[in-house]
Amino acid sequence: MAENTEARDAVGDYRYGFHDPENHTIRFDNGLSEKVVRDISALKNEPEWMTEIRVKAYNHFANRPMPTWGNMSMLEEIDFEAITYFLKSSDQTENSWDDVPDDIRNTFDRLGIPEAEQKWLSGVTAQYESEAVYHSIREDLEEQGVIFLDMDSGLKEYPELVKKWFCTVVPYADNKFSALNTAVWSGGSFIYVPKGVHVEMPVQAYFRINAKNMGQFERTLIIADEGSSIHYVEGCTAPTYSTDSLHSAVVELIALPGAYIRYSTVQNWSANVYNLVTKRAVAHENATVEWVDGNIGSKLTMKYPSVILKGEGAHAEVISVAYSGKGQHQDAGAKIHHLASNTTSKILSKSISKDGGRGSYRGMVQVARKAENCKVNVVCDALILDKDSRSDTYPTMEIANPTCRSEHEASVSKVSDDQVFYLMARGHSEEEALALIVNGFFEPFTRELPMEYAVELNKLMALEMEGSIG
Amino acid sequence: MAYSELEMPERADHLWRYTPWHRIHPNGELSDVPEAQGAVLELRSLDGSTEPAGVTLEVATEEDIQRLCLSGKEDVSTQFIQAMTQGNIVVLRVARKAKPSQPVLLNIECTGEVCALHLLLDVGELAEVELITRLSGDADWTGFLRQGIFGNASHVNDVVINHIGEGRLLRTDGIHLGRDAQVRGGTVGSGGASRCKADLRYIMEKEGASLKVNGSILTLDGMHNDHHVEILHLAPETYSRLDWHSACSGKSRTIGTGMLRIEAGAKGADAGQLFHNLLLSKYAEADSIPELEVSENDVVGCGHGTANGPVDDDQMFYLSTRGFNETEARDVLVAAFLNATLTEMGSTVLHQHLLKTLTQDLAVEL
Repeated sequence: MAENTEARDAVGDYRYGFHDPENHTIRFDNGLSEKVVRDISALKNEPEWMTEIRVKAYNHFANRPMPTWGNMSMLEEIDFEAITYFLKSSDQTENSWDDVPDDIRNTFDRLGIPEAEQKWLSGVTAQYESEAVYHSIREDLEEQGVIFLDMDSGLKEYPELVKKWFCTVVPYADNKFSALNTAVWSGGSFIYVPKGVHVEMPVQAYFRINAKNMGQFERTLIIADEGSSIHYVEGCTAPTYSTDSLHSAVVELIALPGAYIRYSTVQNWSANVYNLVTKRAVAHENATVEWVDGNIGSKLTMKYPSVILKGEGAHAEVISVAYSGKGQHQDAGAKIHHLASNTTSKILSKSISKDGGRGSYRGMVQVARKAENCKVNVVCDALILDKDSRSDTYPTMEIANPTCRSEHEASVSKVSDDQVFYLMARGHSEEEALALIVNGFFEPFTRELPMEYAVELNKLMALEMEGSIG
Repeated sequence: MAYSELEMPERADHLWRYTPWHRIHPNGELSDVPEAQGAVLELRSLDGSTEPAGVTLEVATEEDIQRLCLSGKEDVSTQFIQAMTQGNIVVLRVARKAKPSQPVLLNIECTGEVCALHLLLDVGELAEVELITRLSGDADWTGFLRQGIFGNASHVNDVVINHIGEGRLLRTDGIHLGRDAQVRGGTVGSGGASRCKADLRYIMEKEGASLKVNGSILTLDGMHNDHHVEILHLAPETYSRLDWHSACSGKSRTIGTGMLRIEAGAKGADAGQLFHNLLLSKYAEADSIPELEVSENDVVGCGHGTANGPVDDDQMFYLSTRGFNETEARDVLVAAFLNATLTEMGSTVLHQHLLKTLTQDLAVEL
């Protein structure tokens, strides 16, 4: 009881904080070692090359110090030995919700996933703990050659394709947490869209952590072949516990010439989850990559979706919002590397800090010496809603070509009294007025989301604004 | 904390990312504090016609050191220069209510292999002064540390011109602003040291202080010019603006990093910073990192921006239709770009002096 009170105090009214009893078929002991890494690989019956790369990544992780930037004090609190690195809750991945174990299916019902699938999705992967429990894709897409699998199945069924692209965008030695993910990855999505195929409706992955002290390390690899397009949506939640969990994903996107990838995330982990994610894309000639990234939950998020503009005429766009409430630090941003000429990029970042939360934008734009006529636009806006909260902006612009035109602007402000007064004069309470202003502030993000996500996000923000007056 | 007791900075530190300490240290042996030669100082009115009334240059007393050496107690460059000068500190004092009729020129001649100067600034309450500090000489390495207080309700236009020869320059400022002090801090570098690392910090700990920081920087050939400007708002109703213009040519690299920090309790703070970079050659590079940390919600506004670009084609075309050849047109546009911040550094007299320096360095007329 005491533990629940403590947790409630820590995370507030988090609506996805429920949890099911732990019914697992396999659960590794807490802690990480080379044996754990080899055991995960053996359990999945992986090819030798994958086992080798896992072990190399583990050694890199073990020897690499923690980052010396960001919220170091929060990072130091992570106890890697207290985490479960593999937990399997279902014997296999099902393609009918009826075959998914009842308790897990009920969880996803409560999260609204099956309903959303019927209405507006081309395919769904539902991951519970370490592995996918449900997976489906529309038949017509399958017939067109679209591959949409959980990553484990992708490796089994298309080993050569995975081997060709795995770790090419995010090498295991990129950072400590990409090394950790590469060592113990499990689940995630594998997508290949053939040349010229347009996946009209989004595909979705939903990640759920249920167990205590759980580490979720999904790995996602999306390859959009020449002239194809896809929109991938991911959501994530976890129960409310008083002990911490770790989510450390790696996402690699490859947009081949003329391809289009949009990757939308609504991250709503409970406030006891460390969310340390590496997301990076490579855009070839005339390809477009868009990251639409919402960070509402988690204790500490460190996530900087990146795009390497490798081919001439490529375009990158990052739209991100972050909400930091009590005890939260959203350290998010974007990185764009202009390696080729006539490439363009746009970053729009919005953050709100409330109840002592801290929102940080950390960004990097690099223009290489040989990249002619690049255009860069970066805009960061932040709202601080009370005296205990904080907002930071850490942008870096490195421009090595004189033909580049780059702009960056940022502002931090409070909610305008005039706007609140105007809305109250139109009959809204102060609380409603504040919620409306906040939703309006996030509007450039929500309008890019599928309708269901946008409505959900607006409701979430209205909930967060409750009790913020007086 | 003494230099020898400090941990050496890592490259991951924001302040040392682009110019690591070993690259600006006199000999790269970080534990070594070489013996430094003192600089030659001359203080006069800008036109030399009168003595600068109420402004003196003196050897600092123990009381001066206690009162004015407020900043950088754990800062590597501050402590390093202090270790080199070994207590030989000079104080430039502006008496309370002093109002010299002319800008005051402090010439600092730096010679020898290693030259270091620790200068304290003690500007009295209600004083009104324009101070031009001109660094020149052929020292291989120069360390220049300034610390001090601009007193309550003082009006100070403070410009530092880097006219050092081929050597390297490590410059560190730690200036505290008094209540209602109105300060313009200017940095001019048209040419100057081959490698410059400057760490300029302004602390606004009293209510009503107002600060405008301007930079006008031209880098040539293989120069490496790294300026960090940190503005700290500690008190309510404080105001700051930073406007930094850098033009880079040849294979030079210019770096502008800013840190604007609004601490909790600095209600009504109004702060902004802008970095503009003009890239003049294929091999030049400009980096900008304008950082912002805001811990107070009741602010007028805090913002920053950066813009990078080449010389504007339309402007070049316009000037060519008025008879300028390409080189002339470009020089004029560069000079105008640099002059935009020079005009904000002080009075017309001060501006004319700075403009003369700039046009001489660029060999153009505005």
